[in-house]
Amino acid sequence: MDFWRKYKSYFLKLIFLAIFNALALWSLIVGIATEGWILVALTVLVMVLINYIYLSDKVYPLRYIIPGTFFMIILVVYPIFYTIYISTTNYGTGNMLDKEQVINQLEGRTFLPEDTREYNFTAFKSDDEFKLLFEDPETGDVMLGDTIDNSIEDISADDDRLIDSTGDGEIDEINGYERLEQQELIQNLGRLENLRIDYGDNELRMKDLNNFALYRQRYEYIEEEDKIIDLRDGYEFTPVMGHFYNEEIGRLSPGYRTYVGLRNYRRLLTDQRILQPFFRVFVWTFAWAILSVGTTFVLGLLLALILDDPKLKFRKFYRTILIVPYAMPAFISVLIWRGLFNPEVGVINQMLDSLPFLSALPFMHSIFWTRAALVFINLWLGFPYMLLITLGALQSIDENLYEAAKIDGASIWQKFRYITLPLLLITVAPLLIASFAFNFNNFNIIYLFNEGRPAIAGAQTPAGGTDILISYTYRLSFETGRGADFGLASAVTLVIFLITATITWFNFRFTGALEEVKENE
Amino acid sequence: MKKVIGLMLALVMVLGMANVAEASTSGQLLIWADDTRTPVLEDIKGEFEEMYGIPVEVQEKPFGDIRDDLAIEGPAGEGPDIIVGAHDWMGELVANGLIEPISLNAPEQFMETGLDAFTWGEDLYGMPYAIEAIGLFYNRDMVEEPPATFEEFAQIVRDLRDRDEGKYGFVMPQPDPYHTFPFFSGFGGYVFGEDEDGVLNPLDIGLNNEGSIRALEELVELYDGYIPYIDYETMMSIFTSGDAGMMLTGPWAVADIRDAGIDYGFTRLPTMNGNEPRPFVGVQGFMISSFSENRILAQTFLNDFVAQEDVMYRFYEIDDRPPTFIPAGDRASEDPDTAGVLESAETGVPMPAITEMAAVWSAWEDALSLALNQDQTAEEALNDAVEQIIRTIEEGE
Repeated sequence: MDFWRKYKSYFLKLIFLAIFNALALWSLIVGIATEGWILVALTVLVMVLINYIYLSDKVYPLRYIIPGTFFMIILVVYPIFYTIYISTTNYGTGNMLDKEQVINQLEGRTFLPEDTREYNFTAFKSDDEFKLLFEDPETGDVMLGDTIDNSIEDISADDDRLIDSTGDGEIDEINGYERLEQQELIQNLGRLENLRIDYGDNELRMKDLNNFALYRQRYEYIEEEDKIIDLRDGYEFTPVMGHFYNEEIGRLSPGYRTYVGLRNYRRLLTDQRILQPFFRVFVWTFAWAILSVGTTFVLGLLLALILDDPKLKFRKFYRTILIVPYAMPAFISVLIWRGLFNPEVGVINQMLDSLPFLSALPFMHSIFWTRAALVFINLWLGFPYMLLITLGALQSIDENLYEAAKIDGASIWQKFRYITLPLLLITVAPLLIASFAFNFNNFNIIYLFNEGRPAIAGAQTPAGGTDILISYTYRLSFETGRGADFGLASAVTLVIFLITATITWFNFRFTGALEEVKENE
Repeated sequence: MKKVIGLMLALVMVLGMANVAEASTSGQLLIWADDTRTPVLEDIKGEFEEMYGIPVEVQEKPFGDIRDDLAIEGPAGEGPDIIVGAHDWMGELVANGLIEPISLNAPEQFMETGLDAFTWGEDLYGMPYAIEAIGLFYNRDMVEEPPATFEEFAQIVRDLRDRDEGKYGFVMPQPDPYHTFPFFSGFGGYVFGEDEDGVLNPLDIGLNNEGSIRALEELVELYDGYIPYIDYETMMSIFTSGDAGMMLTGPWAVADIRDAGIDYGFTRLPTMNGNEPRPFVGVQGFMISSFSENRILAQTFLNDFVAQEDVMYRFYEIDDRPPTFIPAGDRASEDPDTAGVLESAETGVPMPAITEMAAVWSAWEDALSLALNQDQTAEEALNDAVEQIIRTIEEGE
């Protein structure tokens, strides 16, 4: 009993380590089987490190940091570095594969040379090897191929190795190899269709179920000079920006994924499609983030102050009701609001229309009214969060302060202005800044409501009236002339990250939020 | 002790391998399909397995994931042999080097539009099996005879509009280039021009030619008070509640219309300026992965087992998409709706599959929205759109 109590934690630790090691071992084996050597190296490293840390007493403090660090690296640090890496490549539609795969694929391409021939074939099998009897249907020439050494020889039609045991005019057996019927042939296709038998300059390979034909390799890669030669037409292709390129012919498809340095960033700085609307989009993004935080905070605070009053009846009921918008998935709420705001048949316009002195508003067509609708929807979605955090913060304000203020004869407004608000902001300011950063990049609501539209008449670029930076650059990166452009998208993401990070940093400095929290403790 | 460890290692090894083996392997077929296709494939695979002793695995994936996952798992050596997908993926898949040409034993048994759709350059990249295109639904209680010309059509649109009762002559979703294209093509517009070899030229854009502008001008006139500017859901609710005489959309809407008890007909659009309007055609088909180890085997499976009247008809029974395989199509044409879709599809143009199409949609959509809401004239809106499209395409080069 005593023993168990003493060593309980030790055994538990061993059990967890064992489970961890089992998983690591498993991924190691998968890594070896699929030849993912980076995975193998990392797994070994992590495995050794974890076992050392948890079994040795020398590095005791690390035990508490390791799990958190581990997940931070996987979920935060790794994606950031991966994004940086992608932003320096041309990864995107047309440049998905790596260079080696593209070369493999190009070298695998063939053409039918002028001296090509097509042969009917019959396959014969013994154990795991095949003999193939080819017959040229035009000349009647016969050849015999062998998979043991991939050889081929010309033979005469009455060669004595060919045995027709049933006497029906078809060869049934060669040297103990038995003829394959169609069905057996299909069973063995896996092996047969990957056969390549050299024949002069050409190679003999399977064309379809009944025929083999002479093919010639179309492209050859010369490793020393890093170029591709077209063996049919004689052109040379050299690598240019992720494609093998020849001035006359153009690019060979597919292209490959490659390092392009700062090209994606240069495009951001020189592309008129980005620069022209940038200022307009940036101003709206900023205004949108401020309006989002401002409106939700004011409403949330107001409701919190009301709910905080102990004289109010049914407080719990109100609180529950007010949290509902927060509990519903924003995805669905936005789509519902989109329906309500529909300018032709939406409930809101029908109501406005039926009221005296009011008329329907152009919600999806006018920039102003679409923006107004967006701010309103965001208010509906966002105030419960502000309500929750301010309610919590209000509880933590010392009652004695209010009592002292009361004795000094402060008005309600003065109490709010000089006690509640400053003390509230100490706790809430960092959350407001985080909320600002979140709304700065609030892609979902902008895109779901009206895809960043309405369109702007006479615009040179596809930026819409409610597009914020992230939704506009999404469009630029995924609706390009070549499909998706992940390299550009990553570069954009990093630039937006820098903008948000700078703004957030200034905010923290300006409000001194973090410092005061420290002093408060 | 050593023995036990060895045994455990072996066990883990086997488990590890089993996990890796879900990928194209020489001598067995792996097919990726979505939930509407898997039941039929599951049905016929047994026969193939029995006959040839070749295992066939059908893996179910959401439709859109098939394309995205192929780009990731194919090159990693974990992809399938065969995928079921849409023809407009082809441009991207070919550009990325993910699919291989395919040869059919009997191409004459397939509708030509279907084969066209899957043709890229000189090569056929897929076996088409289902085709769809939009056409004109009309409510027989309001429209006795569907219009034969655009003039008749416009007349019905004006006559049936009744503000007090909320009735419309015609509804369609906007801004929606896909649904609006038949008007453009009817009056002589096009998206990409073709060179002599029938290859699309991404820098020859016909969205602001005379025909396209004329088409949009005609629509602008009708949208001024007669046709409502609404999205797809609203359009469906208006038509299914019997408040619209005609509606332009595809066969996917049939079930809802039937459920609503509307006495409807489905037919092709009226001629415009004497021309047949050509809607965009979407074709679904089977494609073979570049990373397959079993290309000929996969082709044999498709040619000998899938290209059968029974099988193709079974696909049709499950999800109602009209077959491009002619024998199955003839049998399915007993249903008048299917016959209507096939008729509409026969005159259609395959939706452009080249990757440049990604640059077209949103600019075109903006032009429709600006012109139909009268912020710009049709000509201005379309000229701006084409300028934007060309700039985007050149930038991507």
